[in-house]
Amino acid sequence: MTSRRRLHRLLVAVPLVATAALTPFVVRPAAGQDADDELVEAGRELYETGCSSCHGDDGGGVVTDDGDVRGPTLEQAGEASAYYYLSTGRMPLANSEEIPVRKRPAYDDREIAALVAYVGTLGDGPEIPDVDLDDADVAAGGEIFRANCQACHSASGSGGALSYGRAAPRLSDATPTEVAAAVRVGPGQMPVFGPDTLSDDDLDDVVSYVEYLREPEDPGGLPIGRTGPIPEGFVAWLVGMVALLILVAWIGTRSPVRRSRP
Amino acid sequence: MSEVSDVSARRRGPRPERLLTHRIARWVDTRLGTAKLARTALNKVFPDHWSFMLGELGLYSFIVLVLTGVYLTFFFDPSSNLVVYDGSYEPLRGVQMTEAYHSALELSFDVRAGLVMRQIHHWAALLFLAAIAVHLARVFFTGAFRRPREINWIIGCTLLILALLNGLFGYSLLDDQLSGTGLRIVYSITLSIPLAGTWLASLLFGGEFPGPDIIERLYVLHILLVPVAIAVLLTAHLAIVVHQKHTQFPGPGRREDNVVGERMWPTYAAKALGLFFLTSAVLAFLGGVFQINPIWIYGPFDPAQVSAASQPDWYMGWLDGALRIMPGWEVRAGGFETPNPFFPGVLLAGITFALLYAWPFLEARVTGDYAEHNLLDRPRQRPVRTALGAATISFYTVSFIAGGSDVLAATFGLSVNAVLWTFRFAVLLAPLVVGWVTYQLCKELSARDGLPTASPVAVREIPGRLRRGAPPTPPDAPEAAAGR
Amino acid sequence: MSDSPNPPPVAGDPAVSAPSEQQGTVEGEAVLTRRGARVELASAACFVVAALAAVALAVVYWEGGQAQAEGVLLAVSLGGIGVGIVLWAKQFMPDDEVAEERHPMASAEEDVAAFTADYEAGGSTLRSRRILVATAGGACAALGVALVFPIRSLGPRPGRGLKQTPYRRGGVRVVREDGSPVRPDDLETGGFITVWPEGNTDAADSPTLLIRFDEDDEFEPKGGREDWTVGNVVAYSKLCTHTGCPVGLYQSQLELLLCPCHQSTFDVMRWATPIFGPAARPLPQLPLGLDGEGYIVATGDFSDPVGPGFWDRGR
Repeated sequence: MTSRRRLHRLLVAVPLVATAALTPFVVRPAAGQDADDELVEAGRELYETGCSSCHGDDGGGVVTDDGDVRGPTLEQAGEASAYYYLSTGRMPLANSEEIPVRKRPAYDDREIAALVAYVGTLGDGPEIPDVDLDDADVAAGGEIFRANCQACHSASGSGGALSYGRAAPRLSDATPTEVAAAVRVGPGQMPVFGPDTLSDDDLDDVVSYVEYLREPEDPGGLPIGRTGPIPEGFVAWLVGMVALLILVAWIGTRSPVRRSRP
Repeated sequence: MSEVSDVSARRRGPRPERLLTHRIARWVDTRLGTAKLARTALNKVFPDHWSFMLGELGLYSFIVLVLTGVYLTFFFDPSSNLVVYDGSYEPLRGVQMTEAYHSALELSFDVRAGLVMRQIHHWAALLFLAAIAVHLARVFFTGAFRRPREINWIIGCTLLILALLNGLFGYSLLDDQLSGTGLRIVYSITLSIPLAGTWLASLLFGGEFPGPDIIERLYVLHILLVPVAIAVLLTAHLAIVVHQKHTQFPGPGRREDNVVGERMWPTYAAKALGLFFLTSAVLAFLGGVFQINPIWIYGPFDPAQVSAASQPDWYMGWLDGALRIMPGWEVRAGGFETPNPFFPGVLLAGITFALLYAWPFLEARVTGDYAEHNLLDRPRQRPVRTALGAATISFYTVSFIAGGSDVLAATFGLSVNAVLWTFRFAVLLAPLVVGWVTYQLCKELSARDGLPTASPVAVREIPGRLRRGAPPTPPDAPEAAAGR
Repeated sequence: MSDSPNPPPVAGDPAVSAPSEQQGTVEGEAVLTRRGARVELASAACFVVAALAAVALAVVYWEGGQAQAEGVLLAVSLGGIGVGIVLWAKQFMPDDEVAEERHPMASAEEDVAAFTADYEAGGSTLRSRRILVATAGGACAALGVALVFPIRSLGPRPGRGLKQTPYRRGGVRVVREDGSPVRPDDLETGGFITVWPEGNTDAADSPTLLIRFDEDDEFEPKGGREDWTVGNVVAYSKLCTHTGCPVGLYQSQLELLLCPCHQSTFDVMRWATPIFGPAARPLPQLPLGLDGEGYIVATGDFSDPVGPGFWDRGR
């Protein structure tokens, strides 16, 4: 390694370490070209260490000799995809047979920003959507949600079963940006909803509805899951029927009785 | 007037309200001659055992259903006309929906006490059927359906079916996404009936699904036809119990030709009234504290949409589960077919209820016991019946749990395919295991308690042939004179 | 209802005593025991609580209502009355066992004979006029059958509607719910949307899935359907062939459609054939083409009648 390169590395490493010591915050690629390049470079370093064994050099993907895909290509993944997978902890995956599920993220926010920037340079995949909830129409979002999302995620957003052990996750764990990114990316089994299927306004609306579903109105009392008849049946039997049987037993017991002799 | 002064003289002092009620009672009696009948009623003896009160739970739930239901009818609008929502629930503002769904939302958000009435009504429906189920089980396992009570058994099975249907119709009235999906399945099951299916479905729904008429028709069924049928049959059911006198467990002083217990007045009547208030209290508590059927989350029905985790109310769960675990078999020949939903949806359901209705007659034929029975069996003394009953319950329980396979899989991180395969085997194996274990348990418990058991179907002793013969009767029960 | 009046409790039964003498004590005294006094207090307290809850309930309602308060207060009020009554009954009302006679249900032979005799006497006129009985029976039967006919008005004859959709006209554009047409490139790879025939977006039998599959994966069209896709976009009926639920779950990596109702699973890459679950037939496929402006059109109706099966679906 040349000393020039070493110096370059140091110039990158020092500010990174310095910022890491301060309160973490999400770093967006700065306007300046230098900041961009540094971020991308940092991302590439992290990528080579943590991701390339499955996703290949330069994100080309890795196919084993048996023809199995150990890691798909990231060329069309885009920033949105990297952001989604990394900030929900679905990636990195310990082994490629595993089904990705939400976990504690392995990287902190700045590392994620760096990786996101790097993956974004690999192709022209979707950018991280810019979610604006202020003017969003939650009722319109509800209609979009019920038309496109509830079949997998259920009407209350509590998730649902898919084939062969996969599942559509519950939505209450996701931040608005994560939801929006997932919609554009179509991670895992999720289909892809591009801008020609759901416009950016539509996306804001549906994200606002998903936000609403995290704490919906429950005027009826304890929501017991909001998923419908299954918890309701449990309550009917385990609360209602049990209470009634206890009352019946109480009423039916008799004080000491004089029994008639035959 | 002299009669009144007689009464007051006996009372040793004026008690105005007693005087008035006596005057009223006397007035009614001079028009209807009720004294004898009323006295009979007061002195009616009811055996008391807690398990005899389970049917009452159903009766009281039905009364609550009618009372809350009447309130709801003043606000609900069973119309399929489309309107745009402009009420107080923001996430649905501007959304197009039927007037039926709209009125249900109004009831829930904008009518005072509307939501609690709706919720009490729905919880009461769930408990109505739960009460029927435990009451049916009690009657079955104690053999209370035997002569002379076969008629009441038939009436009871009919009440079960009517209650089931009315629950289905009731929650489908609201035209929300979840219940509309259920109606779609009802339509498809009807369609699957060979020869007549397409006609039946068209006549029922007024055309192809969903059609513009179904909500209005369900309304008529739900608030008028079925409740009247239930009320009439319930009255007959109770009248027959009173006329035949309730059965009783064997015990000291209890014989086939007497009934030992409490008199109706005042104790039994007071306890019954108290249970009514307590049942209503439980229902009111559930209705206020536990949210049920949050239709605003489900959204209005759209035939092109569906939610994950769509299940019917618990009492239809066995049918839903049967539909899921049924493998993809159909019968096709010459361009005609019997589609898949027919087998679990129509055939299984039909066989279920046919067996239920026929049971008293089947059992009498197999055991050769056509005698009158007013003394109940302890379940452990009838191992075959108890085992068969337990096996049947386990069959429907497995089917019921299978109805929630997707929720089970998602909750426990399992493969829904594996879960369904497991239930396909479990639904056949569980009844065998449960039946066998129950049989052994009955024999064990009877032996331990020194009780005789009646196993008239001696399966092991005479393989391949059912032996006719009356079971050994309890020691102090005389041979019924009207037997055969 | 009851044939003979219920006689008073069986004579000689030592357990019975007149109700007015019972005041809830095992010893049979008329004075309240300490236990009796406690129960009376408890019961009265229950009634008082019930009354207060009822008042509170009325206040809550008057002030605008609140579901949880209404339910709980109603429960307390009803429960208070119930508990009060039960305590009263258990402590103060007679709970001795009494016995009542029970007779076999069948009527006495004399009664049956008397009935039969009276019935036969009146019925002789019936039997001696066989022609009248027969023709009367015929008339009632005929009228009964005629009265069933209005049921026919409940719905239309099940016709070709079950086997056709508005796509049958040919050349019909597929449109989204808002009526806008679709180009193949509007869908990303792994994307799917629901479309309807143009002008019939409220047709319940016509919701159609447009799916853009991955062109690197092997797509096997059914024989004769090689040109039914455009630009890697394939179209299937959204209505499940099991019981008609919309098959809204598209699993983009597995390229399977999953119906949430009963878990029927269809393989998108092989003419939506069912690979799991109770569905026995593939989802009908819609033949696609492009019109002059590059929008997707249906070149004909679905390959089979959509939705659940019925008796003569195959004819």
